[in-house]
Amino acid sequence: METSVDLMVMSGVEDGRMISLSSANGEGKQEDGAWVIRMGRREDNDIWLRYDSFASRYHARLHCRETGWWLEDCNSKNHTYIETDEDDAMVSGTIPLQVGQLFRIGRTWFRIQV
Amino acid sequence: MADVTLRDILINARQESFRMHHYFLGVEHLFIGMLEIQGGLTRSLIESYGLTTEYVIDAIRRKTGKGTATQRMFAGMPYTPRADMVMSIANDLSLEAKRSEIGERELFEAILEENDNIPVRVLARLGLTSTALREALTNSTAKIKNPAQLQPLLEVDFGADFQPVTPFSDDHYFILRRLFHGYSRVRVDRQLTGGYSASSVLAVTPINGDSTQDSPVVVKIDHADTILDEAQRYEAHVKSTLPPLTARLEDKPAASETTDMAGLKYTFIADSNGTPQDLSIAAAEMGYEGVGKWIKHELYPTFGKTWWMQRRPYRFQVWTEYDWLLPPLLTLEYTADNDANIPTIKDPIRRDKIKALEYGDPVAIENFTVHRVHRDKNSMVLTIGRGSEAAKRAYKIEVRGLNLAQDAHFRGEVIERLTGRVWKTRDEMLLMALTELVPDFDPHALTIPGVAGISSLPNPLSAYPDLLDRYVNGSLSKIHGDLHLGNILVGHNHSAFLIDFAQTRSGHVLFDWACLEISLLDQIAMPEFGDDWAAARQAIGILAATRHPSAAAVLPRDQIAPILPIAAVRDVVNDCLTKDGDWSEYFIAVALCGLRAATWDTMSPRGRRAAFILSAYAVHELSQRQKPGSADTFTNDDETDAGDLV
Repeated sequence: METSVDLMVMSGVEDGRMISLSSANGEGKQEDGAWVIRMGRREDNDIWLRYDSFASRYHARLHCRETGWWLEDCNSKNHTYIETDEDDAMVSGTIPLQVGQLFRIGRTWFRIQV
Repeated sequence: MADVTLRDILINARQESFRMHHYFLGVEHLFIGMLEIQGGLTRSLIESYGLTTEYVIDAIRRKTGKGTATQRMFAGMPYTPRADMVMSIANDLSLEAKRSEIGERELFEAILEENDNIPVRVLARLGLTSTALREALTNSTAKIKNPAQLQPLLEVDFGADFQPVTPFSDDHYFILRRLFHGYSRVRVDRQLTGGYSASSVLAVTPINGDSTQDSPVVVKIDHADTILDEAQRYEAHVKSTLPPLTARLEDKPAASETTDMAGLKYTFIADSNGTPQDLSIAAAEMGYEGVGKWIKHELYPTFGKTWWMQRRPYRFQVWTEYDWLLPPLLTLEYTADNDANIPTIKDPIRRDKIKALEYGDPVAIENFTVHRVHRDKNSMVLTIGRGSEAAKRAYKIEVRGLNLAQDAHFRGEVIERLTGRVWKTRDEMLLMALTELVPDFDPHALTIPGVAGISSLPNPLSAYPDLLDRYVNGSLSKIHGDLHLGNILVGHNHSAFLIDFAQTRSGHVLFDWACLEISLLDQIAMPEFGDDWAAARQAIGILAATRHPSAAAVLPRDQIAPILPIAAVRDVVNDCLTKDGDWSEYFIAVALCGLRAATWDTMSPRGRRAAFILSAYAVHELSQRQKPGSADTFTNDDETDAGDLV
């Protein structure tokens, strides 16, 4: 089954850039019934954070499952955060992620577009 | 105000990008560039909503974070895709308006229209939606004038009871004019007692054009950061937990563009009118016994239902709730030492390592959070920044000699590494505070002269570090955070009101009551006993005796009377103890709150002396209770949590 997603960069030098990924183009990979997108500072990630020196080489992963989107922090040095009504909350392990909710990797904020 | 063009804004925006080590131009830099224009449109509009530019700038900087000074990942100063988008919207708008170049107004409108950028998101979080701003922008005349000039002059009178503790400045008048826009006159009835902050708290009666008076309100004027935080905190945490009849923040705060001061207005929601008085004044009519009864039967139940009585178990290491009360752990002079071998202070803090530091020693600080920036003094205060609200403010380190014009620092910023040289240690500051009080004992000694029935007391200056390391099995609830007589108001029919929610948070339940005990000691009890150390020892001796009914029975009635309000606080505490009859949880709070009060410039020397002796007495009580094998509330936890000890 073909899966695709649009992610918007919400801060940093690429603020406003839209990143479109689709399994049909060989982007992401299937793992335990989920479509997984890797994000980090190394070039071989699906989303390559080349300008963010606060991002780890393999920083975080997005999982698209039947139950929706999940965000996993891969033991990154500077952690992964989601925006909440109060302070930004640190992600530990894998947590559900709402479409439209902002999350931060290194210094860069992202959002899954509706 | 002449038209500000995009070119002017870009100069500011580039500077901001450099200060933040970003080296690109985003919408946030443009917006901060606009906010920095003195008398500009953006600035005036934001300020008309009661926010200050510095407050908004810090909130934006917190959202983006700072880059690294050493690594530049791209050449030049590129625009972000979103900034390109905003510029193109602004360009269209200026063409529509038949202008030759983009101006501040078009850029502001474009930022609001794009509606997905960092400034718009941050403003929404501060309660200012883009819809509201766009409306305000459209309705504003071609040029927004300085809002201060738009307002007719408000006449400020002073009531017969007004005796200013702090002199009235132009800022005070300015802020009153903004807060009471629409009235022709206000009467400042009196200044309420201040807390440990530099704020002025005033009881003010607004008067209409036809000379009719409206209900009195309480105005608080303080540093803009503090006031705006209080307003945010009130909305988020306080509003929903207040009793139905109380003092509320109904209006937005008012800020002044010329200084960093701002004001807030507490309106009384009550069943009848009449000027509420603060408890220190009301106490004169109530009498000692009356004050005690009122605290127990009015104040405690009124706010207790949603605050102190809603407690849940909370085990904490003492420093996490109480370290922030003490003077800075270190005061440093900033230096750009890059030596990797100098002593480093980082979480977890090892206080013994810091104790060994002396004047002039180089030291590095790692991963501390900026708590407050003093732009005028080129200094800032760092704290540990993690954990509970009180823990976040623990282990203050003051850094002086910064160049804030070149290198931006903002509240909430995590500083990876910073180096400096020791200028003052906490022990030195505590010793200085004690020396100011001209002790009649050796301030360096391990023990100090005792009170009636106790031959000597431990010196809190030597005892406090050990207290900070202990664990307490206490309880947690919403607490006021600055519960002193000036923040407690007595209304008509003796109803209880609280004001000043700047410190309201989830915290150790007994903190509020230890604060109140010290305030009662300073303002109600000590005037009866006298000013010197002997008087302080006499008062604390009587307070100590009241814990033992047999000893209290032989004391003369007139000596016990001034202590009665404190005895009432102790009754409330008895009700709030986590473990019935185990007072160590309270004495630890009293020991540290007392030590803090002894360092306050705003408290009378009389009160500070008594607070110091009270602290010593509390440490004594703790040492009496700390016997091996006793089932006491606090422990040193050597066996169970040794790994957590710092």
